[in-house]
Amino acid sequence: MALQNGSLLSSDRKCVRSPRMKNHKLIVSQSLIRSYRASIQDELQKHAYNFVLCDPGLPDHPIVYASDGFLEMTGYSRDEVLGRNCRFLQGRDTDKRAIVEIREAIREERDCQIKILNYTKAGKPFWNLFHLAPVFSQQDGRVVHFVGVQLPISSKLAARKDGHLTGLELSFDELEFEEHFDNPSCKNYHLSEEDKQRAFAAVKAVLQELANSSCKGVSSMRSKSFSEGVIPPGFVATSLLLALTRIPHSFVLTDPHLPDMPIVHASLEFLELTGYTREEVIGRNCRFLQGPDTDLAPIEELRSSISEGQTCTVRILNYRKNKEPFWNSLHISPVRNSSGKVVSLFLTHSLKCSPFQVAYYAGIQVAVSHSSEEDEGRARMQQLGTLGAIKVAVRSIQTGAVLRKSKTIS
Amino acid sequence: MLTIRRIPTIVSNYQESLESKIGCGKNCLGSCCIPGARLPLYLFGNQELDEHGEIQSKELGQNSFLDSAILGQWADKQAEGLFRYDVTACDTKVLPGKYGFIAQLNEGRHLKKRPTEFRVDQVLQPFDHKKFNFTKVGQEEMLFCFEQSNNDKSYYHSKAYIRGSPNVVVINVSPIEYGHILLVPRVLDCIPQHLETDTFLLAIYMAAEASSPFFRLGYNSLGAFATINHLHFQAYYLGNCFPVEKAPTKLILHHYKGFKVYQLENYPVKGIVYEVGESNFEELAFYIIKVCKGLQGRNIPYNILIANKGCQIFLFPQCYAEKQARGEVDLEILETQVNPAVWEISGHIVLKRKEDFERATEEYAWRLLAEVSVSEKVFDEIIKLVFSSAEDKFDAKLYHKSLISTDITYYTVGENVIMV
Repeated sequence: MALQNGSLLSSDRKCVRSPRMKNHKLIVSQSLIRSYRASIQDELQKHAYNFVLCDPGLPDHPIVYASDGFLEMTGYSRDEVLGRNCRFLQGRDTDKRAIVEIREAIREERDCQIKILNYTKAGKPFWNLFHLAPVFSQQDGRVVHFVGVQLPISSKLAARKDGHLTGLELSFDELEFEEHFDNPSCKNYHLSEEDKQRAFAAVKAVLQELANSSCKGVSSMRSKSFSEGVIPPGFVATSLLLALTRIPHSFVLTDPHLPDMPIVHASLEFLELTGYTREEVIGRNCRFLQGPDTDLAPIEELRSSISEGQTCTVRILNYRKNKEPFWNSLHISPVRNSSGKVVSLFLTHSLKCSPFQVAYYAGIQVAVSHSSEEDEGRARMQQLGTLGAIKVAVRSIQTGAVLRKSKTIS
Repeated sequence: MLTIRRIPTIVSNYQESLESKIGCGKNCLGSCCIPGARLPLYLFGNQELDEHGEIQSKELGQNSFLDSAILGQWADKQAEGLFRYDVTACDTKVLPGKYGFIAQLNEGRHLKKRPTEFRVDQVLQPFDHKKFNFTKVGQEEMLFCFEQSNNDKSYYHSKAYIRGSPNVVVINVSPIEYGHILLVPRVLDCIPQHLETDTFLLAIYMAAEASSPFFRLGYNSLGAFATINHLHFQAYYLGNCFPVEKAPTKLILHHYKGFKVYQLENYPVKGIVYEVGESNFEELAFYIIKVCKGLQGRNIPYNILIANKGCQIFLFPQCYAEKQARGEVDLEILETQVNPAVWEISGHIVLKRKEDFERATEEYAWRLLAEVSVSEKVFDEIIKLVFSSAEDKFDAKLYHKSLISTDITYYTVGENVIMV
């Protein structure tokens, strides 16, 4: 480790994007089109609030929409922030516990309102009243996006007894940049009810806009049946999703409890490998990858392994969406969750009945060239590493969703 | 001399065998078998911390190659029957409450044999070659050697010739989670279980290389439920927040070098939290070890948790074993037979009996951990120690990059090199 001289650098902060988001412009726009009408960007533009929308189903939970107010507040351009995780707002003196609290709220799919120290592009710190709220799909109960609203606080606000401000359109120029973040009136500034209400109002307005513009139905609350414990098929909790999107390889999770064992999650790399979009694969059985020249032998091997709850690796000829064939070294394995001994319906009629809950069947793809053995070795290592990461992700105890009623904004 | 009867945790399949290993021909990790062997080798690159104390990782927000290297071999080891039980079959749950303590029912972890007498009043004990140590472990329990590369890139060689005393990563055959490993610095040097800056730094580097907030390393000193007196750290993945990571803290020192020291508040165990801030790992390790040496000198057992990619380090002095030896621990707590080592203190509690697991509550966890905490008086002394050691001058010349692996050399074998 090179030793640093510890001096504070005053240059502009680096704003780094995940290396997997190569087509970030396309991916980001798809994230919005998937859930809302095309006019959503114009609709959201009408609001003068500072806010972002983030998509937990994409690598590194990136921003997919940023309001003008947000850009003005932070000093970045739209292109600099789209496709990037919000952590660029954090800095040296941001309280780690505040970050943990936001992270836990995301994982638990609930609202969170917190005062956190953020930094502009130029490196100037400012206190931020940050309000996070999930947007739920009415269809499958997943969190489609997270809304993050920012209300900058200054000691000027703290000092003002009358608290009269023109809503969140408060211009950032009015805040004194020269203030040292250590300014006690900032740190000890107790959020007034008015501040909190203002943040609530902003979040509510944004959520309303999203609900109005949604094509498949989103809302700030889960559907009634979900809250009563009726989980729609194919539901994936955000905490699991966040862990799965960290895995930078091609894989799918299928649900053996649903008819025809459909895909419930497909990684970005899988979509890139096969050329399909997320909508085109979720809910379908993997056999759409097979084609005219696919041998029957590996298909049979897969089928029999699955019926016995076993792992197996096959080399199978698959086809991309554009009909181009490729050799796929496919490794499948059952994956358990954290709970213990529940007999799975799926496996009861099998001779090798496992008493343990199989949550998913994972399928990991590595495109290999026809011949080489070296490719096999490398593929194997990648597959097993990916499988291990999937197991860790699925094993982590899913909080939120099923275990906790989501708090709502009323 | 204070002792307690304890059923030790088996971490290696070789722990129960008492045969000696001279010229063993058994492919162990001793000086008879390692030099000249061809072993998997992971070289971790230098990672810069940027001015905000964050790792400038090229693998932003995604799993690192280290995850693949550890988890990838796990399934194979499982297939080879090396684990004493299947940890994925162990029921785990989050206890309802503010902190979310994590309880696991694990009936297989503790050996059901005659308990041994264990001396708990000496934090520093000399290395005993006759007792079990990691040189006696078979190479099949090893995952890879873990050394520093000479640039900022990481490499993986599946068959590198090893000379000198490597740092090794071995599986824990009684895992409490998927991917539970042991890091043994300079295995052939037979270092007893105590910390020095360079060995501690190795553990921090591993946390940084894993680049995941869910991969944590832990250290238990003797007297704080270390099982084996051969220097080792434990590590595993858990995709949940540890209760101690959520606990509020109070800043007690913002060092001129840039790191920060906090005191835990509203948590059953009194502890100190270090955050790297705008400092770097070398400085952080230096000052933490100063405090640990002070604890070792005062014979106070302690546990350390390395979390958040190495940027957050928790130090817990404890006195449970001493209380146990003096018969001062509540009987109900004793009956659950939980040894509160670093994972338990952090909030991941492994229970042996089904009824304890079913009845487990946040209140039980709090009561158990409250017994672990040192007294106010002792803790105040330790805070004073933190302040006084913070005044020492950090000598940069002592921490040249090659400190970790001064006499390890290796040759690559051409193929099977994966640059990551």
